[in-house]
Amino acid sequence: MQTDRHLQSAGRAPGRSINYRRRAEIFRWLHRAVILAGSLAVMLVVLSPVAWLVSSSFQNEAEIVSVPPHWIPDQPTLKNFKAIFAATGDETVTYETRNKQDPASGDYIPSTAGNLLPAMANSFIVATLVVILNLLVGIPAAYAMAKIRFYGRNGSIYFILTTRVIPDIALVVPFFLVIKNLGLLDHILSLVITYLAITVPFTVFILIQYFEGLPDELDKAARVDGCSRFQSLTRVFLPLAMPSLVAVILFAFLTSWNEFLLALMFTQTAASQTLPIVLASFTSDFTISFSFINAAGLLAIVPPVIVAIVFERYIVSGLTAGAVKG
Amino acid sequence: MARILFENATKRYPNGFVALENLNLEIKDKEFVVLLGPSGCGKSTTLNMIAGLEEISDGNLFFDDENVNFTPPHHRDVAMVFQSYALYPHKTVYENIAFGLMMRKHPKDDIDRRVRDAAERLEITHLLERRPSQLSGGQRQRVALGRAMVRQPAVFLMDEPLSNLDAALRISMRAEIKELHRSMQTTFVYVTHDQAEALTLADRIVVMKDGVVQQIGTPDEIYEHPANMFVASFLGNPPINYLEGVLQVEGDKVEFLRGDTRLAFPADRAKALLDMNGRKVKLGIRAEDVDERAEAADGEVVAGTVTSVMPVGSDQFLGLKVEGEELFFRVNKDLRHDYGDRIRLSANTARLHVFDAETEASLIG
Ligand SMILES: Nc1ncnc2c1ncn2[C@@H]1O[C@H](COP(=O)(O)OP(=O)(O)OP(=O)(O)O)[C@@H](O)[C@H]1O
Ligand SMILES: [Mg+2]
Repeated sequence: MQTDRHLQSAGRAPGRSINYRRRAEIFRWLHRAVILAGSLAVMLVVLSPVAWLVSSSFQNEAEIVSVPPHWIPDQPTLKNFKAIFAATGDETVTYETRNKQDPASGDYIPSTAGNLLPAMANSFIVATLVVILNLLVGIPAAYAMAKIRFYGRNGSIYFILTTRVIPDIALVVPFFLVIKNLGLLDHILSLVITYLAITVPFTVFILIQYFEGLPDELDKAARVDGCSRFQSLTRVFLPLAMPSLVAVILFAFLTSWNEFLLALMFTQTAASQTLPIVLASFTSDFTISFSFINAAGLLAIVPPVIVAIVFERYIVSGLTAGAVKG
Repeated sequence: MARILFENATKRYPNGFVALENLNLEIKDKEFVVLLGPSGCGKSTTLNMIAGLEEISDGNLFFDDENVNFTPPHHRDVAMVFQSYALYPHKTVYENIAFGLMMRKHPKDDIDRRVRDAAERLEITHLLERRPSQLSGGQRQRVALGRAMVRQPAVFLMDEPLSNLDAALRISMRAEIKELHRSMQTTFVYVTHDQAEALTLADRIVVMKDGVVQQIGTPDEIYEHPANMFVASFLGNPPINYLEGVLQVEGDKVEFLRGDTRLAFPADRAKALLDMNGRKVKLGIRAEDVDERAEAADGEVVAGTVTSVMPVGSDQFLGLKVEGEELFFRVNKDLRHDYGDRIRLSANTARLHVFDAETEASLIG
């Protein structure tokens, strides 16, 4: 009788008890599957326009408008890129040059195609200068405001931030007057100066946030260890601030690379025009070659992508762990 | 190699908070001075001022005869162990310790020798290649200690350098620090709120409260002749007991009266109290200043009911209800007591303390 009951309960036990190990395993797989599906969905949304940009830049005008669209070009062509790289310099648009090719055949190349590469160079120079100057100005400013107590410290932080509350469009006219009086119209320096005005406040703000997050004691320890303020900044703070510096670099670079409004106001010729302006000019002709614009667009995103890839690996988190008592 | 002199030094933080008021303190060359006080009393502030990390709002600070009010930290020859360690997270333990020497342009092999030497003394040699984030709290603290140790500064500042170590390590590190002071022959300023640490390490102790120095003296002076009730309470474990009552002076005989308790002061203590007949006072009896086996003579008796018994290994703490107040004494553990027992202890009247009931200042030097 006793053994009977014993057997019974022993037999029932596995059936009734829940197999937690199996459950955990299933849950883990489910978890992975959901994350994978989610990232695929996000990737699809983000990358499909880029994929279309790439694909269509190798198609000719006839193929690009075919229905359904060809994701893989039937007859890939380098015609658009050839036009960009072969074209020579600054061309003035006249009624005659405007219709060099027959738009109906789809072989249309805008007359200003040759301006694209110089514009890219302009954009790159402007963006690089803006990045460098941002760091030169922003780092010391942020260190001072984050780690040195002086009268008017809070006031200056607020002031710097309020300059960013004003919309750019409101600043265009004052900027224009300043640039004109400086004699810098149609010169890339005009862009460098005005982009700095736009980006430096953000740079300072981001870096202040980061520096303030670094313990004061690190600064003090460095000072006692024999660093001047400047050495404390370069030897202790900058290595630790890498992630925020990268954020600043990317921000300043991309802002300058993409800026349109001010560039439109201050530049007039290919000598100073930047990429967004030249890209936009391709649509202002009577006819638009979508495949050509897409090829130009593809070239336009290459430098930012390279910059992002180069700096991405410096974005590491948890760099400050272990500095002070947990 | 440096005497430190604070002259009417005051620290006012930008928010208006006065962290340190009118500090006058002379730290002699090669002296080991401990700043002792409860949290927030201004100990770290004082250290920071010596290091040059906080400006002095008022008054003067001298190193030897040189006014250093405005000398930046990297031009003062100080090393400091920070309360929060402040290790450089991006450097290895080795680089952390070497950094101060590197900034002062020591030759490489000299740096290496000193770093390894310090690491050995601190038993962290096996950690030299790690980063601070891979260390335990106690290990980090020892690295912080090592970073200061390798330097040969004129002034050595330590802000609670042992607070995160376990009891055994703390005791052995105390000895290590004492030895460090002996071998380095420099001025040490050491901050702690652990009275035992202060008593063992210090040549002189500075007891602080709310930014005001309460007493400066050798450990013995501070313990035996506390200037006021705050100082008396801060040292001793369990803390000193207080009993409020009045003084009665008859000729050259002075007694403390409270209910049935009557304690007579010996002649040397009585001297200072002769003109204080009827004065309301607080009597201070240290926990260890009683004996329960001695035959209590008249004027030495503290009698009460046992309210708690706490063995602490070597001996036991006894809670005793005396005149309605609960006092704690440290007595021999051979004798057994039970709750509610009525017992008589013999007080060591030569070690009684008397404080003014109002001002809380000591009435006997
Ligand atoms: N930057 C500051 N601004 C305003 N008040 C401050 C500042 N730093 C410290 N204080 C105040 O000054 C007082 C003394 O601070 P301090 O750090 O010297 O205390 P401490 O004695 O070292 O205490 P603990 O034992 O907790 O470390 C505290 O009341 C603190 O709140
Ligand atoms: Mg402190």
